[in-house]
Amino acid sequence: MARVITITSGKGGVGKTTTTANLGTALAMRGARVAVIDADIGLRNLDVVMGLENRIVYDLVDVIEGRARLRQALIKDKRLPELFLLPAAQTRDKEAVTPEDMIALTNQMRPDFDYILVDSPAGIEGGFRNAIAGANEVLIVTTPEVSAVRDADRIVGLVEAAEKGPPRLIINRINSRLVNRGEMLSMEEVVEILAIEPVGVVPDDETIVISTNRGEVAVFDQHSQAGRAFVNIARRVAGEDVPLMAFTDQQGVLDRFFGLFGRKAR
Amino acid sequence: MSFLNNLFNKRERSAQVAKERLLTVLVHDRVKLTPEKLEELKAELSAVVARYVPEAEPAEIEVTLLRGESSDMLKADIPLRRSRHDE
Repeated sequence: MARVITITSGKGGVGKTTTTANLGTALAMRGARVAVIDADIGLRNLDVVMGLENRIVYDLVDVIEGRARLRQALIKDKRLPELFLLPAAQTRDKEAVTPEDMIALTNQMRPDFDYILVDSPAGIEGGFRNAIAGANEVLIVTTPEVSAVRDADRIVGLVEAAEKGPPRLIINRINSRLVNRGEMLSMEEVVEILAIEPVGVVPDDETIVISTNRGEVAVFDQHSQAGRAFVNIARRVAGEDVPLMAFTDQQGVLDRFFGLFGRKAR
Repeated sequence: MSFLNNLFNKRERSAQVAKERLLTVLVHDRVKLTPEKLEELKAELSAVVARYVPEAEPAEIEVTLLRGESSDMLKADIPLRRSRHDE
């Protein structure tokens, strides 16, 4: 039976969709059967990030409204035979889906997968409510910026109120050089402020822009630091004990040197 | 002091500023205490304090929301007049 994990954030543009695509792919690379659901009705995006936009025939609303069977709507990944995408509807109005629909859908899918990842829309309205309705677990993505962290805090409260258990945190787009200079919140500071368990830190990395341009996913790229960070997140989600901040070993000598003065020891 | 800081370009690091601003904003977001409610609370508090502590300066009472180490705090500062009745 699948674990249903919703990826959400509050604020838009912090990397929910990129996280969903990379985490889903990384889990499938480990041999798990994975489905990723784009729950951002009306603003379909997960398909282009995964490079599957040309294969869409049916979408989530078609399944919910009975025009297509689940099996027809699920799109198989280009490379991984055990990775599937259920795309969002592009044109339909978002009132078409209710939390009960999402619970029914995820329940229907659970027996066939090990992981079902739900990519939530931004905001705290209906779309977010739908996205967490069927979840067993919630991952909150934030960037180390005041606006994103503030919104993440709101989401923590809402997820706890919805009795989804304590959400875990992914901090995206950390720039270690800025952190070392004291000009960006560090992972430790964000974790301290939000007081939830971190499950990963992803460096700000131009390989994400490039892989997204190509419709590829960074976890396939051996040279992508962000890709490696997402692989580590997948390992932690799967229950492996992987130390955090694995990517800082990429820091330059100068960064380390200034890091000694710029902040507390870890 | 800020003049000196500017002179030597030693402004506080922006990450520290961000952290302090966030902590303040989040306490207010979490507690949902509106400025009006806070004023009401102050008024009632000064009335109560005045009944027990004549030396209190009701007009000077300050109530603030603070982020503590392990829990958030509602902090009331109640200045007292120096009195020498006991002498």
